Parts: sequence; C-alpha cells; structure tokens
Amino acid sequence: MAAKKAASGSLKLPSVLDLNEATALHGKLMSMRGSNVVIDASGVERMGVQCVQVLAAGAKTWKADKKSFLVEKASDAFEKTMQLIGINLDTLIAKEI
Amino acid sequence: MDMNEIKEIFFQECEEQLAELESGLLKLNDGDRDPETVNAVFRAVHSIKGGAGAFGLDDLVAFAHVFETTLDCVRSNKLEPGPDVLKVMLKSADVLADLVTASRDGGGVDEARSRGLVKELEALANGETLAPAAHVEAPKAAAAPAAPMPAPTDESGFQPIPFSFDDEPETSTFEVTFKPRRELYSKGNEAALLLRDLSRLGEMSIHCDIDSLPDLDKMDPEASYFGWTIFVTTEKSEDDIRAVFEFAEWDCDLEVKPVGAAETSEELPMVPVPFDLSALDDEPAVETSAVEETVAAAVSAAQTASDVSKVAAAAARVEKKEAAAPAAAAQNNAAQNNAAAAAAAAGQTIRVDLDRVDRLINLVGELVINQAMLSQSVIENDATGTSAVNMGLEELQQLTREIQDSVMAIRAQPVKPVFQRMSRIVREVADMVGKQIRLVTEGENTEVDKTVIDKIAEPLTHMIRNAVDHGIESPEKREAAGKDPEGTIKLSAKHRSGRILIELQDDGGGINRERVKQKAIDNDLISPDANLSDEEIDNLIFAPGFSTADQISDISGRGVGMDVVKRSIQALGGRISISSRPGLGSTFTMSLPLTLAVLDGMVVTVAGQTLVVPLTAIVETLQPEASAIHSFGATQRLISIRNSFCPLVDVGRILNFRATQANPVEGVALLVESEGGGQRALMVDAIQGQRQVVIKSLEANYTHVPGIAAATILGDGRVALILDVDAVVAASRGQSLRAEMSLAATG
Repeated sequence: MAAKKAASGSLKLPSVLDLNEATALHGKLMSMRGSNVVIDASGVERMGVQCVQVLAAGAKTWKADKKSFLVEKASDAFEKTMQLIGINLDTLIAKEI
Repeated sequence: MDMNEIKEIFFQECEEQLAELESGLLKLNDGDRDPETVNAVFRAVHSIKGGAGAFGLDDLVAFAHVFETTLDCVRSNKLEPGPDVLKVMLKSADVLADLVTASRDGGGVDEARSRGLVKELEALANGETLAPAAHVEAPKAAAAPAAPMPAPTDESGFQPIPFSFDDEPETSTFEVTFKPRRELYSKGNEAALLLRDLSRLGEMSIHCDIDSLPDLDKMDPEASYFGWTIFVTTEKSEDDIRAVFEFAEWDCDLEVKPVGAAETSEELPMVPVPFDLSALDDEPAVETSAVEETVAAAVSAAQTASDVSKVAAAAARVEKKEAAAPAAAAQNNAAQNNAAAAAAAAGQTIRVDLDRVDRLINLVGELVINQAMLSQSVIENDATGTSAVNMGLEELQQLTREIQDSVMAIRAQPVKPVFQRMSRIVREVADMVGKQIRLVTEGENTEVDKTVIDKIAEPLTHMIRNAVDHGIESPEKREAAGKDPEGTIKLSAKHRSGRILIELQDDGGGINRERVKQKAIDNDLISPDANLSDEEIDNLIFAPGFSTADQISDISGRGVGMDVVKRSIQALGGRISISSRPGLGSTFTMSLPLTLAVLDGMVVTVAGQTLVVPLTAIVETLQPEASAIHSFGATQRLISIRNSFCPLVDVGRILNFRATQANPVEGVALLVESEGGGQRALMVDAIQGQRQVVIKSLEANYTHVPGIAAATILGDGRVALILDVDAVVAASRGQSLRAEMSLAATG
C-alpha cells in the first residue's frame, strides 16, 4: 500500500532558528509533506517563537496526515526553549504511524 | 549592513524623535492636553532610550530614562504639565538633543546642566512640585500605575524613583497574559527572549495557547499564533514585570495582575519553566546574529514612532541582506515578497542619499537645456512645425517637464525642522538675558527646496538672536510700557508668488531710529546731514560694518552683522526687508525662491537683450493702447487697466539698458504682482515665448547684479538674465537699484 512506499526524510535544523528562518523552515517542511519525517535538532543553539510555531503546525499537520514526525537528538537549547515557551511537541505528535 | 550604517539609521531616527518630542512639548505648552500628545512625547523619549541602549550609549540612556520616568508621571496624570514643568521638560529635550549629537559626533555636553536637569526631573517625578490640580493624585496613592514603568537603572547611577509598594510583600504572584501581534516579530522582537527575561524574575509556570495555530499549509510563518498565560511568583513589582515588555508593549496584548497564590489557575495545564535557562544565554558565535539582534533592538526602538515607514525601510534592508545570502531561490523570493509587503504596509518611504538626488537633479537640468537646444534646431529646420520629429519633440518636452517636476518634488521639505531649532534658540537666549519670550510659529509645513532649508537656518538663527537680545525689551520695560511682560516672536512661512515668504515678527520696542542714525554717522556710513526716510534708516542695519561696539554681547554681537544675513539671503536668490514701528516691534520679511534649480519663465526682449521674467510673478500681459497711458508727475506713467491705474515701469530704463523711456505703445506690458502685494505693469519690447529654464546662479558664476535674480542658458546656447521682479518693482518705487549697488559696493 501507499504506507509501505511512503518516503521518509530527515531535516537537520540549522543552529539559529530566529525570525528570519521561519519562512525557510516552513518551505522545507512543506516540501516534505506526505512523508514521514525525522527532525534532527541536535545543532540548534537558538530558536525563536515563530520557528516553534512552524514546527508545532508541522507536528499537528503530520498528525492529521497520519505520518510520523519525530524530533531526534534535541539540543539542550532546543529543549529549554520548548519548555520556556510551554510547548510539548509530543502532545502534538501521533504516537502511531 | 554594517554596524555603522545601523547606527546611522538610529541617529536619523533620533532626529525625527527629537522633532516629535519638541513639537509635542510645545503643543503641551500651548495648553494641548490630548493624551495622544503626551503619549507621542513619551514614545519619542522611550524610543531614543531603547535605541541608545542597543548601542551602549549609557549617558544617553541614563538621561532618557529619568526624562521618561517624569513623562510617565504626566502620562498617568500624576503630574500636571504646567508651565514650570514644561520649562524643565523643554530644557531636558535640549539636553537630550545635545546628548544625541555628542553620541553621534563625539564631544561632550554641559554636564552640570545635565545633572541639574536630572535633579529637577527627579524632583518633579517625586511629586515635590506637584501642581495643585484637583485630579492629581498623591504619587504614593497609586498602588499600581496603569502605565508601565521603566526598570530602574542603578548601574547608570540613578536612584530608582519610589512610586509605590511602600509595604512590598516578600513575594507575590502575578498572572501575566501575553499575546504578541505580528508586528512584534516584524519589528525584530522575539517573544522567546521576553519570556526568558520574565522567567528570571522568579518562579514561573506557563501555558501556551496554541488553539489558533492552523495547519502547516494554511499558516503564515511570519504571523503570530501563540499566546501565553503565565504565573510568576516573584519579589519584584508589577512594574518590573511590565518593564520586561517595555520595548514591545505597543505590539502585544499584555495584562499583568496580581493574584493570590491560591488563585493560580487550575483550569489551565501549566508547565513549570526550569529556572536554569543558561543554555539559552549563550548566543551562538555567528557574527550575523549579533548584528541582527542589534538591528532588532534598533528597529524595536523605532517601533514606537508614529512613522512606521522607517521600520519597514530598515526591515526591508535586513530582508535584502538575507536575500543576498546564498540560499534557496524559494527563500529569496519569500524574503523579498515579505520585504515588499512590509514596505507597502508602511506607506513606502525610503531614505536616499542626498548626493544621489542632487546628481539626478543636475542631470535633469542638463537634459532640459539639451532638449531646448534640440527643439530650437528642429524648429529652425522645420518651418511648418508639422514634421514627425517636431511632434515627437513636443512629447519629449512634456516628459522632460514631468521628470523635472517629480525630481524637484523629492527635494521639497517642510520648514518645520528649522523652525523647531529656532524655538530652542529663543529659549536659551531668553534665559541668558533674563527675558520672557514665547516663540509662535505658523506655516511650518510650508515646503521648500532642501538647499534653501539648509541655508536659511544660519541667517535665521542670527536674526532670532538679534530679536531676543535687541528686539524684545526686558520684562520691566515691557510692563512699564503697558505690555505683557512676556514678549512674543512670531515666525511664519507661506507661499507667495511662487516663492516662500518667511516673516520674523517681534512685539518689542521697534528700531530706535535716532540711535541707528547716530551709529551710522559715527561709523561713516552716512553723512551727518543726510536726509533719510524712516525706511532708509531701518535699512541701515543691513549696511556692512553697522554692528557697533556697545552692541556686542555674548548673544548677538559677534562681529557678524545683519549685512551678512542679507548677503546669505541674497546668495540664495532671496531678499530681506524690514519694517518697524516704534514701540510695537519690527518685522523682517525674507522672500526666497522655492527651488534653486528651475523656473517657468516668459522670455522677453528688452532693448535688444533677452530676459526671462518668472511666470509666477506675471498676472497678465497686454498690449497698451495710447489712450490708456497717462503721465503722472515728471517721469512717471500710469496705465489704465479696467478702470484702475497701475504704474508703468520701463524695464529697459530701470536696468539702464537705455537712456530714455521707450514708447509704451510699441511694447508689451506685463502686469506683475510683487511681494508687497502691489501691482506694476512692466514694459518690455516683445515677448518671445514661455519656457522652463534651468537657473544658473549669477552670484556663484559672476557676481550679484541688482535687478537680476539669476541667469539661464537658452536653447540657442546664449545666456539670458532672469529678472528679479521685486527688485525692479522696488526700484520703481524710488528705491533705486543703484543705491543698493552702492551699499553692496561698500561691503
């Protein structure tokens, strides 16, 4: 079935995810729509709210698409920013593919 | 964009903020109590402080902070902006301007003055001189001021100003609801940094409301969707919490309210925020990010300005920089589109280097001359005027004309900034000489070419100093003369006959003609038995070498006389005149061209010479009939036009092109209106046509010629002189051009 053939991709987040990056991040995620995605957040040193919004919207959309949206290897800055902003991406992510 | 460019933008913004500040304070001084005026004043100081903080300009930040604190008391109705309060504030605005100048150009400021004002501002903020207005609350009664208070800046050496919280509890809990708007981000602020700073105030738990977040494909990545409810338990005050958001307060919905510990909401799933956020403190060592942050700070400083266009311009530059970086094409497009959208939303203004505009104007000037020459040669070779080339040239002429008008409009600026500078001079000089003087300005939005604005400031400053020092009498003298002890100087600008008319009027004692005449005799300017009219005596003050020893003071008598003022005005193609009434005051009238580059003229022939008469001065042209010409006295002639008489002036005779007056019936009369308001019929031999001419300064290329305003180059390459209509009209009234010439020669 289609699920078997579903492509999967990985996205390495840049170190700085400030407000200038939100549009680019949005574009990258949009281009991966329909495939399972693994986000590598290990290199994130700084992240702004607009990029978090894009990631959260991505997680929500992937959940609706019934595709996986995993954040792997989150850096300390990534995790702390998520906590600071009060976002738990896990709650947005589908547990099962 | 490097740091210097960003800083330069900040200083340009400062200029605008200072102008806003001054105009707002002057409005308040005139009794305006519109809260928006107070807000505008507050925002101006606040923005300067914000930007200065980003560049580490500590002196500026420290002073702006104290100033802002006092303004906040006015904003929250705790301090009535009475005359004494506004006096301090206007002086503070001057010091703030000095500090900005010192930060930009180096150099120092009068520290004693600045320290003195800091003390006065603090005293006002502490309510030590509160006006006894009924609605004014005692400052300590205000437990929770509605307006955000800035954070104390102990590090800058200033004591925090105690307003409230006398019995501050050890810790209290506040509920903060914070919902940023799109503008918060587009101006470079980052909500995450605000939340981080908030978390440092104490223990914090947070709930992020993501209900409005759409799916990825429906979202605008630059919009704002998240909002937060935050509980902060802290030893700090509500003001400290608000201070975290102070640069963003106009771009978010913010509510801060104290709540009991038990009230902390059970309904919302709150997430505790780790107190140790050190991981977020380390800014990545990427050079651009530091620059971006500074841009963000500078931009956020400007966010409070009413003119958001500058922000868009700055944002557009940032975006452009982004676009220049090697990145995916899609990203480039998106960035550019966003920049374009931001610029469109902000009314589309850009800053352009003046040199570029000037180069364009010069080129267009050359284009106009070139086009005229081309037309001329085509006309000479095409008698019927119907060839396709000729038709095309007419269209080209239209286009050239439109280009020229558009280019000139770029340089047109209101005189407001210059007038505002004058108000400071009046304040300072009046203080020095112990006089009470109010400056009233009118027509500040009258527009004129930027060159004229730049060059008018110096002579105007000199005249204002003179008016304060010599024009207005001391309060005692004024009272003795039955006048208001406060003198008034009125500075006005208006357009008249295609020129700008600037009037400086004082209600002082007027010119002491006896004394002026005596000085002129003492200085060998006139012979003791000279029989001069009042007007001639008044005009003696413009004679070179008139400034005399007993007039020299710190203020106006610096060895620069009114002759220098007159020469500066003349160099601009302008004129200055004075009228004075003893006991009632003097009025200086300056008439200046709106632009120094082009004018619409009527090309005429006078005694074989080609002259250009500015079209703006001409009311109508007519062919005089013999029956309409009447003699008046020995040499004067009048022309009867529609049952009224108008003096007939032979231009050729006035300019000494011919020895005797020409026969009016053989020529053409141009009915002109002079600045004085009177009409004259100028006699010329023939009219060649109308055209737009490029002005070439006679003063710069040759020398000032009485009766001639400037020169131009015609299509056939010949030089034609542009007539100074007012000088010719004045000469016809009996003030001969030669008299002016002899005065100039003395200089």
